[in-house]
Amino acid sequence: MSEAKRILQVARNDFSYFFRTKWLMAILLSLNLSDMLVVALVYRKMMTFNYFQFFVPAVVVMGLFAASLDTGRRIWLAIRENVIQYYLSLPISTHGLVIAYLLAGGLAALVYSSSLLIIALIVLPAQAIATIFILMPFLFILAMGLAGIAATLAALASTHGEYFFAYQQVVQVFLLTFSTVLYPIDVIRQYLPSSLAVLAAANPLSQASEAIRQFAFAGAPIQPVFLANMLIVSVPFAVLGGVAYSFALSTIRTKGKL
Amino acid sequence: MSNVLRLVWFDFKQELNPPVWIIMQWFTFGMQLAVYGALISRLVTGLGDYLQFYAVGFVVMMTFEIGSHTGRHFVEHAHEGRLPYLLSLPIPRRALFLAITLQGGAELALLLSVPLFVTLAIIGNLTVISVAAAVATLFWLGFGVAGLMLGLSFIAFRSADVYAAITAALGSLIIRFSTVFYPLIFLPPQYASAAFLSPLTYGADLVRLFLGFDPSLLLNPTYAAAVLAALAVCTLGLGVLLLQRLVEGVKSG
Repeated sequence: MSEAKRILQVARNDFSYFFRTKWLMAILLSLNLSDMLVVALVYRKMMTFNYFQFFVPAVVVMGLFAASLDTGRRIWLAIRENVIQYYLSLPISTHGLVIAYLLAGGLAALVYSSSLLIIALIVLPAQAIATIFILMPFLFILAMGLAGIAATLAALASTHGEYFFAYQQVVQVFLLTFSTVLYPIDVIRQYLPSSLAVLAAANPLSQASEAIRQFAFAGAPIQPVFLANMLIVSVPFAVLGGVAYSFALSTIRTKGKL
Repeated sequence: MSNVLRLVWFDFKQELNPPVWIIMQWFTFGMQLAVYGALISRLVTGLGDYLQFYAVGFVVMMTFEIGSHTGRHFVEHAHEGRLPYLLSLPIPRRALFLAITLQGGAELALLLSVPLFVTLAIIGNLTVISVAAAVATLFWLGFGVAGLMLGLSFIAFRSADVYAAITAALGSLIIRFSTVFYPLIFLPPQYASAAFLSPLTYGADLVRLFLGFDPSLLLNPTYAAAVLAALAVCTLGLGVLLLQRLVEGVKSG
């Protein structure tokens, strides 16, 4: 069996594990759907600005983000429960394992967020549905980048669960609050220092939400520069995550533990 | 009583060593209030000062999360095999239940201390009585929620996985379909009827009333106090019953 086929088998296993975790699915679906169908709708009534139109596309990105970050939990669990030792005994290279986890993390997040996207398309009419298919590969790369961040956190936390969840929460809070997922960039510019506003605009989550809002729902023509930016901010995270996880696996292979 | 306190401290010191969870709760509150709350309140035009409303809502949400954590913790212990050990100790079941309740209360007090202080400072112009009444309401709500999670533990004794899924989903829905983050008048009619089923609606509105929010935006306080009292008494009563009757023979692992 070729290495590529083994990578795909490990990735398939991890991918199905994500969807088989009942409590996780319950949390993600209840949070994201209630954000989309309750919070966005109620805030719409409290604001003069159409928050429903603004927030519904962003919930898709929030789903993508949450699902990608779960890759870290699965890696951390594999390290803590020593399942990683079993993976390392398989006839697959360390790099192959890393690629498998990042692929599975990216794909699981994309599939999960696509289900949210379908619901978003039902409740909010989109001007250019076909554009969504052009955005998909870029969202996949972004999901792999976010999975890379999660893999880095899992490798850093080693077997200490409390640290892993703390790191994950810090990253989640920072990336979401300093982004245009929850509020428009104009409001951020008015209230936060300009350096933070620049960071919020460059945030990969902001890039993805703006892309879905502008190109798919508002129907604006796709700007290649925008998509290139999405790649520029996503790829380094995927590479960093790959390197960190690879390093962690090599350490476990040689020392038996992290 | 010393046995009860020893049991409380035994569990509580694990939360403090290291106090990661506590710090994370405070950090999340700070960030949510200083960035999210401040920015979203600039968009909200339907309310006078949404930041104050949001801060109280976040404290109520934290109360719910800490209360449900206490309930879930007990169920996790049952499945990790710690419960049979606790049941074998030479203390009555009532004392064991008291220890679980006290530990939940101590956790709630510690975790809420900083966020509540910040919220009260933002609102300002409060009397000792109004603050004491708000704190008492939060504790009453916390005990009610912990009791609710304990009450649901009969599901966990059949399937821990299903219990985790139900409590997780229920948690998000109870918060979203309530007046924690928005007043009842802004909820669409079909959501408003669901909000009446959420205990947080009553808790949040009663706390806000004590803290001087406009009563026209809130539920009738007598009604809210009655529902909260009924919730805490019923669910804690159910918890006592479960602990005395159903926990024997719970399988570990």
